[in-house]
Amino acid sequence: MRHEPAIAPARMAVSDEQTVAALRAGDERAFRDLFARNYPMMKRVARTYVASEAVAEEIVQETWMAIVTGIDRFEGRSALGTWIFSILTNQARTHSARERRALPFSSVAPSDAEAPAVDPDRFQTGDDAWPGHWATPPRPWQKPERRLLSLEARDRLKAALAELPERQRVIVGLRDVDGHSAEEVCDLLGLSQENQRVLLHRGRSRLRAVLEEYLDAADV
Amino acid sequence: MHTSGPPHNGHSASELDLPVDEVTCQQFVELVTEYFEGALEPRTLSRVEEHLVMCDWCVTYVEQMQATIASLRELGEARSPEPPDAVLAALRARRAGGA
Repeated sequence: MRHEPAIAPARMAVSDEQTVAALRAGDERAFRDLFARNYPMMKRVARTYVASEAVAEEIVQETWMAIVTGIDRFEGRSALGTWIFSILTNQARTHSARERRALPFSSVAPSDAEAPAVDPDRFQTGDDAWPGHWATPPRPWQKPERRLLSLEARDRLKAALAELPERQRVIVGLRDVDGHSAEEVCDLLGLSQENQRVLLHRGRSRLRAVLEEYLDAADV
Repeated sequence: MHTSGPPHNGHSASELDLPVDEVTCQQFVELVTEYFEGALEPRTLSRVEEHLVMCDWCVTYVEQMQATIASLRELGEARSPEPPDAVLAALRARRAGGA
């Protein structure tokens, strides 16, 4: 029998079935694949429900335990990812009831939408020749060999990501760091596409600005 | 670099309720995510594309945004999370139990 790669969305169900069968048989490789694919998202989401990394880690561990011991109860009526996510949020709610309220992901607070992507001072104003066009334009970034960024610049990026407002951090993390699609993120978090884009835009714009500041300073 | 003038149709260039005759750089930097996500209205999209043909600076801005996204992805790829021992033990117990 030949296994074709699961590329088209229509094949997702087949791929879920294979994963579930492998988990039921205790297949460690299949489990490790599933773990690696989902762990970062789970940790990120769990962290929005509780105040500490340690508790978020505990929630994720409990969720994986529930997946492994409860996989026989998965009936395939939803996608495997949705099932995993519902276990995760149930565990997280139990913990957050003791800690603090979950973030209302379906609404975008004004603070998430207000800040401009680029400092307004960098654009020409009404008195200049071309209002709204660059006064201080961005300069092309020099790339170090092989990698996009030096190790130090990566550390800077990591720190800036950690400092983003929470919902921006979660969305940028899920989309750009973990590589989930807009559809997946909106489905999982019950977020509209538009709100997802606002959060993504603010977060990415801020991170670009941090890198620009660092790289321009390093260039001089 | 900028071959055409600023908008003169009475709309404020700082407003994002497009379209005005032309997208400014300041407007473009707020549209870049919608542009990447394929979420722009056809009319706005063609103005954004016209702007990028004229404006090397905004092309540089696009490249910087793309480099930022690619660098974030590299942060993700550098990780290799290990399943907790207790969970692996439960998985092995399934196999041993023939469940």
